[in-house]
Amino acid sequence: MVTESPRASTAPAGELLAHVNTLRADAGLMDGYARRLLATAAALSGCPAAPGWSRAVLERQAAACFTAARRLRTAAEALDTHTRAGSRPLTPAGLSAPVPPPPG
Amino acid sequence: MRADGHAPGRSTPEGRDAGQDVRGLLRRCARDVVDVAEGIRAVSARTSTVLFAPHLFAGARRSPRTGLAAQWALLRALTDRQGLVGAVLGRESLAALVAVTSLRLRIAAVLVDHPEFARDPGMRRLAEAVAGHGLGAVRALRTLLRDQGAQRALSGLTPLMAELPSVRALLDARPPDGGPGDGAAEAVELADQEKQFIATEGSFLGFLRTIEVLSAGGRILVQNVRGPDGVVRYVVQTPGIAPGRPRDDAPHDLAAGAGRGLSEAHPPYLRSVLLALTKHGIPRGADLALIGHGEGGLAMLHLAEDEEFCRTYRVTHVVAVGSRAHDVQPADPHTWIATIANQHDIMPGRDGQDLRDGRAAGSAGDPRPNRYEVDYAGPTREFPLCHLLREYIEHLRTVVPGARADVDEALTPYRGPIVRTQAYRLRDRGRPPEGYPFLTLPTRSVPTTVGPVDVPVRYADSAAAHLCFPVCADTARRLLPDVGWLTPSLLGRRALAVLSLHEHRSTTIGPYTEIALSVLVDDLWRPRRYDIAADLLRRPDLRRTGRYVLSLAVTSEEARVVAREIWGQSAMRTTAEADLTGREIEVRSRDLGLTVAGRLGPGIRCPEADWVLYGRRGGSTVRTLVRAHGRPRLHPGTGVRLRLDTAAAEPLAGQLRRLGMNTARPLFVLACPQFMAHRSAGAVLPR
Repeated sequence: MVTESPRASTAPAGELLAHVNTLRADAGLMDGYARRLLATAAALSGCPAAPGWSRAVLERQAAACFTAARRLRTAAEALDTHTRAGSRPLTPAGLSAPVPPPPG
Repeated sequence: MRADGHAPGRSTPEGRDAGQDVRGLLRRCARDVVDVAEGIRAVSARTSTVLFAPHLFAGARRSPRTGLAAQWALLRALTDRQGLVGAVLGRESLAALVAVTSLRLRIAAVLVDHPEFARDPGMRRLAEAVAGHGLGAVRALRTLLRDQGAQRALSGLTPLMAELPSVRALLDARPPDGGPGDGAAEAVELADQEKQFIATEGSFLGFLRTIEVLSAGGRILVQNVRGPDGVVRYVVQTPGIAPGRPRDDAPHDLAAGAGRGLSEAHPPYLRSVLLALTKHGIPRGADLALIGHGEGGLAMLHLAEDEEFCRTYRVTHVVAVGSRAHDVQPADPHTWIATIANQHDIMPGRDGQDLRDGRAAGSAGDPRPNRYEVDYAGPTREFPLCHLLREYIEHLRTVVPGARADVDEALTPYRGPIVRTQAYRLRDRGRPPEGYPFLTLPTRSVPTTVGPVDVPVRYADSAAAHLCFPVCADTARRLLPDVGWLTPSLLGRRALAVLSLHEHRSTTIGPYTEIALSVLVDDLWRPRRYDIAADLLRRPDLRRTGRYVLSLAVTSEEARVVAREIWGQSAMRTTAEADLTGREIEVRSRDLGLTVAGRLGPGIRCPEADWVLYGRRGGSTVRTLVRAHGRPRLHPGTGVRLRLDTAAAEPLAGQLRRLGMNTARPLFVLACPQFMAHRSAGAVLPR
């Protein structure tokens, strides 16, 4: 039977927290990409030579970026919850104790 | 249209025409969108890393409720409909979809000012691939970029040269022959006819004319010049990639950037140049001027940025014509750098921007020391004409003579007698020559009035449709030269006339379109009744029948001269547009009043369409052997129609009318959307 020492489990928790931060930052980036695509669509809407499809396609892809940003945020929260749960002592049922929401 | 090629009324107060602004906007948007695509791909990669992080897996075993929830949330972010990495579930990634949007915008930008590019075979294939939306476009584009056969056409897409690699990477569609190259250089002799064009005194235009001579065959030239002060200096002259000509075994990566030092992985082209300079025996510390056109100019600018190279030699001047590199940072701050570009030239610069992103028109001079940039509005707008060195030389004489004088003045140390001239053929040992092994042939140079031409003439990428009509044998005989031994081969009681339509996209004599009318003729000495059938089983070089070319129309002067002087065919120059790559074929020549259009019906594979062509020169018949390598198909001729919209009688229209081909449908069409071929030097027969 293998037991993990509390010291050994802090390193993975730190790594997972870094992942949480990465996911949150990437969610922000995806929001930014969506806005850039919308700005491009807006710029092209006033351009007579812009292809007719461009606005609709860019808006659709911007929407996909917004969706991806939302999913990344959700994943970041879920991973944060999991990380905090992993750093608490296990309950008899093998489940982690409730975790308070992250600050901010 | 004004003399400078601008339509009046289109210019903005800043001197930039409206089309240019529109194109600039489209191009900037395309660049912004591809940046977004690259960002999305990076986010996808990081999210995948988190999903497969070992600690998350281990943690999920300990805390399954939260661990699995986190994994599920990550999986959704990646593989949700239009998720980051949709390919996991058979969808396409968001980055790939956005990359295709960028490429479509970029294509639109090119076509705004250069609608002629819509006819380019590579552009056509690219536009067809991305014509749809979403997943279909991504998959079609990925298939195209991975297709070995399409690489030739895509490599001619000069205006998209900067975009395609990043789109390739975003679609994970590496080119099929993306292996590492291996540069090499060997000293070669110039042909006698080429030597006549090499100047004996150093001058800017003289160097450019030398580069023009070198444009075929992947060569560079190094000249030793004795300057006015008696010091021998060296001038390296490099041509760019000639559009529509095979690259053979020359390195393909002229425009690729240099490494951070000579010891690092240089692209094969620059390695080849370095080897050539070493072979030339240029002493360390010698003065060098680097002069190049197009991609050759970019390569020279890369060299000037290389610290180790500039420690070995003193690069005093770099002159790049038809290339733009506003951001160049020479390793030696004393290097004088000049770039000269026609605003209409859409040769991309080093950062993916077009030449037209450059400085305002006529802005010779630069606040930065040792920098000289000329970005002028030349009279030539159409690509690739506006990119040809011949055009630049003419513009430097007539449109921007001041730039010529300035560069000549800067090059004063190199303006003296040329004491040695040596050409070097650059090779890439890491890749087979283009068209290998079919097009890898011994060649010899034949002088013509347009310069020396290597024979056999090689065709690396062509499409053809041969429309075969049964015609009246007597009429056909009357159209043949009035010699007794040229008689039409008979199919029953009819002769066979062939209208051959060719779209030659890449040949050793440049790209051109060809329309040829020929009649099948018997052996000149021993005509036999069944030769026409027996020849189907014979090796091409042993065939007795051949096609006598009655009329030939071609779209380039070089092709006309070669057909006339080497193959003895009565060729004329015309304009024509051809699309022979799909099931719908169309060839249109306004000059000839001829249109061939229609849809090819179901076809069957047939053997290679090798031919023997006959022409006449003086009192002799010239026999030319044509070998082809492709996948020709035989189609019924019912769907294809030849139309004549001219009352002219000569030369081609009259013959077509007399043979009745304008009112009949072809019996069958032999079509091949892509093939290679070579045509031998004509053998003169004593009849």
